[in-house]
Amino acid sequence: MRAELRRPPPVGVRSAVVLSLLAAGVVSFFRLGLTWEQLVPGRDAFRQMGAFLAAAFTPALVNEAGAPPGTPPLLRQALDAAALTVVFATTALSVALVLGVGLGFLASSVWWSGERATARSPAARLFARVVAPAMLAAARTLIAVMRSIHELVWAILLLCALGLNDLAAVVAIAIPFGGTLAKVFSEMLDEAPRDSADALRGAGASRTQVFLFGLLPRALPDMAAYTLYRYECALRSSAILGFFGWRTLGYFIKQQWDVADYPEVWTYLYTLLALVLLVEWWSGQIRRRFVA
Amino acid sequence: MSTRRETVRELRRTRPVDRFARRSVALIALLVAATWLFGVLDLPALARDAFVDDFATLREESARAHANVTRFLGEVRPYPLHGRPWDTAVAARWATDLFVEGIPRFDIPSGFEAAWRTLAISITAIVMAGLAATLCAFPAARTFATPEPFLPGSDRISALQRRAWRAALLVARGLLVFLRSVPEYVWAYLLIGMLGISAWPAVVALAIHNAGILGKLDAETVENLAPQPLAALRGAGATRRQVAFVGALPAALSRFLLYFFYRWETCVREATVLGMLGIVSLGYALSETRIRQRYDDMLFYILLGTVLVLVGDLVSLVARGLVRRAS
Repeated sequence: MRAELRRPPPVGVRSAVVLSLLAAGVVSFFRLGLTWEQLVPGRDAFRQMGAFLAAAFTPALVNEAGAPPGTPPLLRQALDAAALTVVFATTALSVALVLGVGLGFLASSVWWSGERATARSPAARLFARVVAPAMLAAARTLIAVMRSIHELVWAILLLCALGLNDLAAVVAIAIPFGGTLAKVFSEMLDEAPRDSADALRGAGASRTQVFLFGLLPRALPDMAAYTLYRYECALRSSAILGFFGWRTLGYFIKQQWDVADYPEVWTYLYTLLALVLLVEWWSGQIRRRFVA
Repeated sequence: MSTRRETVRELRRTRPVDRFARRSVALIALLVAATWLFGVLDLPALARDAFVDDFATLREESARAHANVTRFLGEVRPYPLHGRPWDTAVAARWATDLFVEGIPRFDIPSGFEAAWRTLAISITAIVMAGLAATLCAFPAARTFATPEPFLPGSDRISALQRRAWRAALLVARGLLVFLRSVPEYVWAYLLIGMLGISAWPAVVALAIHNAGILGKLDAETVENLAPQPLAALRGAGATRRQVAFVGALPAALSRFLLYFFYRWETCVREATVLGMLGIVSLGYALSETRIRQRYDDMLFYILLGTVLVLVGDLVSLVARGLVRRAS
């Protein structure tokens, strides 16, 4: 009883974490050789920034006067770029979802946990003690490697290996997104309430039945909600692939920025913004219905 | 038997069905099918190829892809070992040289230096984002951005005051949405044009994008805090700022820190990539080696980035465990 009335230590764990973070921030700041003066743009840059921000209120809606004949209308180009952005994001996430579900099951402890309880024969015991943990570790390592290489780095690797190819863009997004989905899915499966699974097991259901009808439905709403969130991220990644030559929104943002055509930069930026906000609203609506 | 089937049918008929969710699922299925068939695979062209050209295009493309991949796999072999049998000692010396010295001839930083800078960029950026998000979380939280937080408002609150706070809330939320909707890569590209080449564009780009994300998550955390202690503080005469920093912040800190570390993991990945725009970090080494088609060196920097990310994830895991146990 008395122990609970003890004075708390002068610096708690959380404060210590915050303080060391601030210290790490300061050390990093100086390690990078940053100075605040560098952050103040020169006069030219200042004028450029002003012009860019002013253009936010006047995004271009039609091609500029000097555009070469045969150029498609600006809004048409923006829509085409948005469509390709959606194509890459959607196809990539559909592949990532398959990878994520498959690897997510294999990387969850609950998928393998039934083994130990039912292991009777020597072969089953060997499976439970050696093979199952090995498979679990292998799945988790694979996920970590898939996740730890950024989609743009995958894109560069695939560009070097395959050249500029639509499938390369899809695979570049699908690999890291599949890894992330798998990691989060496996955590959600492990953290899902076990009550219905226990009830089914008690009623004599097989391991597969317990997993599919007891455990999975309890984790499914969260999994769906998270997938929708990742779709928003996939859209952004797909847009950025444009910086590497695929004709998604990023391609035109880069192109117009390089020729300092700020009104058109804003046209594409607003298209991207609208796309992301639309999907964010939509997934919010669905999420509200899935997750109480 | 039949009654059981009837019961199941009855249950099936009377279960709650959400039209919107159902239509959304149908729409998603359609979207996936359409984008695959007409977007990536280009079904009409594929069909033409299959029926008219006897798969000529497809065969040619796959042969080319195969040749490309074979060439690439040859090129990622460390160059001292090109055309020679594998020798671990030589490969290790090659890797050590890259890690310690980089490629001075082309001003490509050593692996150590590049990894260090990548880490420093991510830490500086996430600390800035965390501070900004903590400040933005309160005006963006519905419970704080009202004329009289946590207490029943008196009659003296005018409609104008109410509208002013409503506007403040909308501005704060709109700003956060804008900050997080634009990807950090785009921010960095735009900032390099304005600030020139230093670590700042990467730091600022990561900081503002993550401030948008953390600000939103933190604001939701603040909104979901138990209101009673905060109402008690307010009733005892605390100002809005005192309620925020003495009452709400300590209660929300654990959650803030968890989100902070989750975003830092992402920051390490992004900091690697932002270097490809010309800011000295792992990404810079990566793009420079790629331009010179030194794919073996490129792969070294990619793998080094992987190690850095894995170490970052581990640190974050430990830190999140500490915070979770402390709260």
